Amino acid sequence: MALPLPPGLTPPEIAFICEMELVTIIPRQKLEELRLLGGPLKALNPPQRASIPLWLALLLKRQRRANIVPPPWLSPISLHAILDHETNEEDAFSPPPRLPPAPTGNALVYSPPFLQSSTANAAPDALPYHWLEMGEMLLEVASDDFEEPDIVRKFLRGLREVRMAKLRKGVEVLDAAGGIKMNGVGAMELGEARSFITGVIDGLRKISASKEQQRKDREREERENGYSGTQDYDDDEMDMQ
Amino acid sequence: MDDMDDIDDIIAEIAVDNTPAETRDLQDLTRCWVAERIAPEMLAWPHDVVDRVLERIRRQIELVEDQTGSMDPKTNFKLIVVQTELERFKFLVRGFLRARLKKIDAHPLYILAQHNDSSRSGDLNPLLSPSEYQYLTTHQSLLSAHYKSSFLGQFPASLQRLDDTTGGVNMIDRPDEDAAVFVRCLKDVGDLAIEGTGSSVDIKRGDVWVVRWSAVRRWVEAGDLEVI
Repeated sequence: MALPLPPGLTPPEIAFICEMELVTIIPRQKLEELRLLGGPLKALNPPQRASIPLWLALLLKRQRRANIVPPPWLSPISLHAILDHETNEEDAFSPPPRLPPAPTGNALVYSPPFLQSSTANAAPDALPYHWLEMGEMLLEVASDDFEEPDIVRKFLRGLREVRMAKLRKGVEVLDAAGGIKMNGVGAMELGEARSFITGVIDGLRKISASKEQQRKDREREERENGYSGTQDYDDDEMDMQ
Repeated sequence: MDDMDDIDDIIAEIAVDNTPAETRDLQDLTRCWVAERIAPEMLAWPHDVVDRVLERIRRQIELVEDQTGSMDPKTNFKLIVVQTELERFKFLVRGFLRARLKKIDAHPLYILAQHNDSSRSGDLNPLLSPSEYQYLTTHQSLLSAHYKSSFLGQFPASLQRLDDTTGGVNMIDRPDEDAAVFVRCLKDVGDLAIEGTGSSVDIKRGDVWVVRWSAVRRWVEAGDLEVI
């Protein structure tokens, strides 16, 4: 019964997580309040808008019981602006949506898919973590709720290509230590690139493992002897020994 | 600026209080599942979240059993929604447990030692759940009985052990603790040194980094970083 999959998430699993994102719908039918496992669902009263998880929105949409309001960042104008930004900025992804205020104390911190980054009130100028899956799923099931689905589709494809090119180019900076910043990366992109990126880092690390071990031992020794660990030895010298 | 921050803090607190416990548990369990799928090492068994979720699933199944057979189309549709969500939760829990089983199967002796350490130190969250512990020990005793009867029994007594650590070679397989993982920062961590490489990274809230697991494990366990 153990899972026969390698570490990392498969695309269906990423889509499963994306389906927890809240989206805004306009119900066409009444639905009474429901006590669901993931929190209570408020009663749906047409034509009052409501925010519900994507999986439920897709179910209601397929049965023609509701219409989905696409998130503002999925409009042709927003996508056009983001695509321009992605094309002009060569080294980094476009910045992710602004974070909610920092929580205080030990409060549970929210992160995607629980950030409400795809409801009708979401920021129009940034791609959320689950942008690709969200766009694809909405276009597949609810293309008639978009004003210009084909243009949106075209922009999404463009964005995907520009960003994948950046991800591939980023491979050049990989090294054994890891420590690479990848702000703004999307879930599906990460899923696609994960095995390659971690594979390269792990491989490089194994090649330089003995050198690293020497250095680790030396640092520990220095700490125990009370030296400051800032002295810089020449690594090549260590190799000669 | 300080005032603004204060107001933000207050808003944040209210927002957190308004979130139903069920939604918080869903986020928690999702995070545990993703972390367990990706991290090279086994993480502590989150017994309180799992207990609460399993109890809710049990009640929901009772509700479904109670209401099926109703001919009213309205109730019927409600049940479809409830059952769809039920299946999603079952998938989540199953995926989580199976990811843990995979690690138990891959490094049984190492995990057993770690579990014994964690329960001996009086840790509130031992590494394994009672059923996982039972699975591990029973499976191991079956395996070693099998090995013994099929070939190990004919070896000299000094070569019969499965957990020999002498002679410079450790027989106990361990996971690759330095494997690279992707993490997202939930609370500012600051400078984080990567041992043995001389490099360090400055991790701020909202950042996504690729780092080795051994360097971030402590913060993932504390909930300041999340594996993605």
